[in-house]
Amino acid sequence: MAEHAATTLKPADDPAFSLPSFLSGLQLPLLGGGLVALVVGVALAFTAQDETMPRFGFSAYLTAFLYVTTIVLGCLFFVLIQHLVRAGWSVVVRRVAECFMILVVPLAVFFLPILFSLFFEGRLFVWTDPDFAAEHGISEEIWGNKLKFLNPLFFTARSIFYFAVWIGLAVFYWRTSTTQDETGERAASERMQYWAGPAVMLFALTLSFAAFDWGMSLSPMWFSTMFGVYIFAGGILAAHCLITLFTYVCQKNGAIKDEVTEEHYHDLGKYMFGFVVFWTYIAFSQYMLIWYGNIPEETEWFYVRQHTGFGAMSLLLIFIHWLIPFAGTMSRYFRRRPGWMAFWAAYILVVHFIDIYWVVMPEARRLEHKVYPDFGGVLGVAGSLLCVAGLSALAVGLALRVASGTRLIPVRDPRLRESIEFENF
Amino acid sequence: MSLAIPNGLDNTVERPGERAPLVLGDTTYHDITETVCKVAERPPSKGWVGGFLVSFALLQMLGLLILYLIYTGVGVWGNRAPIFWGWPIVNFVFWVGIGHAGTLISAILFLFRQEWRTSINRAAEAMTIFAVACAGTFPGIHVGRAWLAFWLAPYPSLNLWMWPQFRSPLLWDVFAVSTYGTVSLLFWYMGMVPDLATFRDRSKNKWRRMAYGILALGWTGSSRHWMRYEKAYALLAAFAAPLVLSVHTIVSFDFAVSQVPGWHTTIFPPYFVAGAVFSGFAMVLTLMIPARKMLNLEQLITIRHLENMCKVILATGSIVGLAYGTEFFIAWYGQVGAEQFAFLNRAFGPYWWAYWTMVTCNVISPQLFWFKKCRTTPWIIVIISIFVNIGMWFERFVIVVTSLSRDYLPSAWAYFTPTWVDWGMLIGSFGLFFTLFLLFCRTLPVINMAEVKSTLAKQEHMAHAQSDQH
Amino acid sequence: MSETKTEKTVHGMMAEFTTVDSLLAACRRIRDAGYTKTDAFTPFPVHGIDKALGIKPTLLPWIALGAGVCGTLIALAMQIWMNSIDYKYIISGKPYISLPAFIPVAFELTILLASFGAFFGMWALNGLPRFSNPLFTDPRFDRATDDRFFLYIDAKDERYDSEGVRKLFGDMGTDYINEVVDDESKKDVPKPIYLIWGLSVAASLVPLLCILTMRVTNSSSPRFHVFFDMDFSPAKDAQMTTSLFSDNRAMRPDVAGTVARGQLPESLDVLTGIDVEALSMTDSNRVERLVRAYLMDDQEAQDAEAATIEDEQSAEAGDESGEAAAETTKPSVMDSTPWIKTNPLTVDRYLLERGQQQFSIYCSTCHGMDGRGNGLVNQRAQSKGFDTWVPPSSMHQETLYGEVYPDGKLYSTISNGIRKMPGYAGQIKVKDRWAIVAYVRALQKSQNASMDLVPDSEKQGVDAAVKAAKAELERQAKEAEEAAKKREEAKKG
Repeated sequence: MAEHAATTLKPADDPAFSLPSFLSGLQLPLLGGGLVALVVGVALAFTAQDETMPRFGFSAYLTAFLYVTTIVLGCLFFVLIQHLVRAGWSVVVRRVAECFMILVVPLAVFFLPILFSLFFEGRLFVWTDPDFAAEHGISEEIWGNKLKFLNPLFFTARSIFYFAVWIGLAVFYWRTSTTQDETGERAASERMQYWAGPAVMLFALTLSFAAFDWGMSLSPMWFSTMFGVYIFAGGILAAHCLITLFTYVCQKNGAIKDEVTEEHYHDLGKYMFGFVVFWTYIAFSQYMLIWYGNIPEETEWFYVRQHTGFGAMSLLLIFIHWLIPFAGTMSRYFRRRPGWMAFWAAYILVVHFIDIYWVVMPEARRLEHKVYPDFGGVLGVAGSLLCVAGLSALAVGLALRVASGTRLIPVRDPRLRESIEFENF
Repeated sequence: MSLAIPNGLDNTVERPGERAPLVLGDTTYHDITETVCKVAERPPSKGWVGGFLVSFALLQMLGLLILYLIYTGVGVWGNRAPIFWGWPIVNFVFWVGIGHAGTLISAILFLFRQEWRTSINRAAEAMTIFAVACAGTFPGIHVGRAWLAFWLAPYPSLNLWMWPQFRSPLLWDVFAVSTYGTVSLLFWYMGMVPDLATFRDRSKNKWRRMAYGILALGWTGSSRHWMRYEKAYALLAAFAAPLVLSVHTIVSFDFAVSQVPGWHTTIFPPYFVAGAVFSGFAMVLTLMIPARKMLNLEQLITIRHLENMCKVILATGSIVGLAYGTEFFIAWYGQVGAEQFAFLNRAFGPYWWAYWTMVTCNVISPQLFWFKKCRTTPWIIVIISIFVNIGMWFERFVIVVTSLSRDYLPSAWAYFTPTWVDWGMLIGSFGLFFTLFLLFCRTLPVINMAEVKSTLAKQEHMAHAQSDQH
Repeated sequence: MSETKTEKTVHGMMAEFTTVDSLLAACRRIRDAGYTKTDAFTPFPVHGIDKALGIKPTLLPWIALGAGVCGTLIALAMQIWMNSIDYKYIISGKPYISLPAFIPVAFELTILLASFGAFFGMWALNGLPRFSNPLFTDPRFDRATDDRFFLYIDAKDERYDSEGVRKLFGDMGTDYINEVVDDESKKDVPKPIYLIWGLSVAASLVPLLCILTMRVTNSSSPRFHVFFDMDFSPAKDAQMTTSLFSDNRAMRPDVAGTVARGQLPESLDVLTGIDVEALSMTDSNRVERLVRAYLMDDQEAQDAEAATIEDEQSAEAGDESGEAAAETTKPSVMDSTPWIKTNPLTVDRYLLERGQQQFSIYCSTCHGMDGRGNGLVNQRAQSKGFDTWVPPSSMHQETLYGEVYPDGKLYSTISNGIRKMPGYAGQIKVKDRWAIVAYVRALQKSQNASMDLVPDSEKQGVDAAVKAAKAELERQAKEAEEAAKKREEAKKG
């Protein structure tokens, strides 16, 4: 029962709630630079294509796309789940998540190159290659059944459906939340809560299948029921990191200083820790079951990731994606220090890219026995990095643009006071 | 002190920005003590005595059946080639699953700061421990020579001079379930010590005072003690939360590391955990709703508590449904003949009735909880929870029996028929569970008084803060 | 109500409060007044009281962390030692040190030990259990676990002074202040407790003593068998009876539809030696019968098929004497059946070796090792002069060469028999029958081989063998001549 001095809420148009001018000034450089980097990156990635890695170009783009998409969807899930459980503590950081969640709208445009790849037979998804089954000795019956699901038309239709759902959810929550800034009506919160349940279910279904479509089908004969959960685990972890980092940057530039306190960093830190463990749990379980079962059609996926450079990367992931952040975010001491949490958030955001790269890129290899993937040389590495840097810069630029048009916290949310006064114990 | 719920106060409605009360009526700290202590202090009711006699009789039956089993051999069960796992393992997984709600409520909801847990965590933890006791019985007797079950432990044996096989999931199970039982017991006991001190301080009888005094370890309520106690509680919660997940994960490994079609699928770990939480909450609701009525705890275990649990059931039930769907889809997508056959066989093979019972109870029935009316009407909740329990038992039956009965070797295919001993042991295990639970109601604090008082204090504090603002 | 008992040790002063807020206010006041050895007693944890009283954070998390790390290390060391060093064996092709498989137990032990650390560490740091506490002497202190809040200043505090503290507490608006003094009740533990304790210790030693005694005692009497049928398995031998099954046979017949290893049904062509597709053009009824006989285990169809073949074979046997007359009779089933022309199996060295082995086991007794029809059975039958004896055919007559007697027909003959020769389908596996067919063809070829077919490297050997054989024949002829001479001489003599 610590006694609070009764918190006085600042007026809704307080300058502390708008995006600092330094950050809004970054929009154009980020958008311009991002676009250039993306174009150059894709070009480099296409030049890095060779015998061993014939699908390097589109795969590098897909890596960047999945990196940004998983994080944006993580933010969407963050918003949905906060409404579902009627969370009080998170109100002050919810708007940051909302600014990123609304990026699913432009991401639909960034998805077009991936649809475009379907026109080139086997340039990204090998199931678009008509000769694939014959060359790899897959029986026609099995391949025919696969193609009932994995064909360009149905694939496109499904992707449109996923985006329709996500955009629908994101726009609804964005509109309702920003309108509440003006009207302050409680009913808006109630509406958002009311729809959160069905929304989470739809989200789970679409994300799981999007992961199957965009990630798992790169290796069309491989399958793992856990794959959707694995992609989700990485995305939600990175989303918490992005929220932490973005909030920290805003505060460093003078905004929302009184609203977001070390208590919120502490809580975000707990979630980061929790999701690091969750990711490890899912990744370990998936590996363990496939390793132990030792059935060739399943082990193939891990087998190529245990050789050459990717073998080292697989081992490295254990340390950089689990052990180091696990130790780093475990202590209450670090969790309550915004600078440290921002550091770990940035760190995990980098690691998340390595994870996605590790999932996508080995499938760009020539799918033959004893052909192991590589990183595409200097060109390939530079291309992949520029792709992701470019797309991320574009995303952040767009998010800044969104944020500059609104307030950095939902100023009239009925639970705002509870959130500001929130204390861990 | 009035125990009636004030008219018109519906704490299932929560306006955004205000938190609905979790303790109803003009309850004071002392009222909470009285309400909870009375449960154990007043003479047993006829209902309690009747229930105890019935469950105790069932427990005796279980004991006799175990003796019969040990003396005669496992042939008394319906387990036959190729269904060697049969009912004992179905019952084991079922009970372990039930045992997940308690620690989940105490640990995970604690970490998520869900205060509604305070009224129900004690009883739910007790259920956890009793369910784990029921669960532990089955693999113990399923090993065949139950008196040699200690060979599972890695002890230096002078006769055998060998060690257990740590690459086997069955040994992981031994460690997981025993660790879970131990940690749950510590957690439960630790949470109970302050309340046992209350029992001690209220006891008029010398022997009773001495017994509770020993159990309470000399607890005084000192602030320094509370501080370390809360730290230890938070730590145990933080350890117990992944532990809960790990236990059913490892139980799922028992199946999933094998290559039996229908067992070997990577989604098993999270799907088993969701299923366990699902069944655990259903069992808690099945027991709590009659208990709160009979023990006059309606002001502490309010409709809001029940509604929240219903929501958890709805969420986990939907995850389970999604997992069923994913399994089916991947079986088709993977284009592995044996796997496809296993799933078609589940749904349309000789055990179609079990499969569709499972789907109806587990996926369809909890969807009723989308309606607030269903979430807030106790008798509807009880009925749905019982359906969920039945459904989850059938889920384990479907997994264990259908996959084993249609293995890779068609000449060995068989149909499983339980014997009277199988039935008797399943019913007897409920006897064990209820006997322990009824004894718990009469001897130990059924609600965590200290935590509920803490919730009440916070509720009053917030009410003050709100009235200050207006 | 508080009668001060000066003669007893004073432990401290206690005041009672009814609300959390008044307690917190009081805490702050005594902290500000400079008291350090203070404590508050509350029925539930009050947040903020540690600050109000100036209580330092605990080191419990470190204890738990240390214990947890110990757990991980112990578990990994234990598993690696037990399964990879001390008692190593391979299971399901996993390496000795299978880290993924060791993780679950490592995780569980980490949690277990960390929990022990937190649990026991907490009680140890709290100095509990402590059953005798002077605080308990105060009758109102019972409500510290119910609904009252107590503040306590220890007499050991430097600033402690009975009157001052009493006054300070009085100012705070509390209605109950009491000095905590030594407990004057009896300190003895009740006698029955000792008795119960002693008895249970003694009882718990009994099983241990029993085990120890048994372990060091030698006994000449046989072990006592609790579960007799587990020590001496009541397993049945072949041909024994049992009451478990209704037919009383302990040996169980194959489950319907079971296929023994290596006997997986081949295609109907391979099973019968008939080109079934061609047959279906002319005689679909027979195809149906073949399917039922060979693929569906239909006894009736099997008998009918056997009868057809047998009739024709005996008819053929009748014709045997008059080769020329055969052309005028209507074509027999054996001739009209479209037999497979070539061996369906890949003919290689292994198949021929197998064929040779099987031929020498099953065929050579009658047909002779060289296939000329003069096996041991024939020799004996001839020497006894049985008049019903039909001599076995030589494999080396032109009517049996592949061009006129297709492989399928030969296979069918082996399977179903001909004239006096029984069918060997029951004894020889399908593939082995085809192997014999292949070997017979090789045997036929061997008798008509020209020297061109012999590889150069072998030619010398063949020459030598021919020479040796000629010499042997000459020797035999000479012997026979000598023997004849001797017989004649003996007759004369």
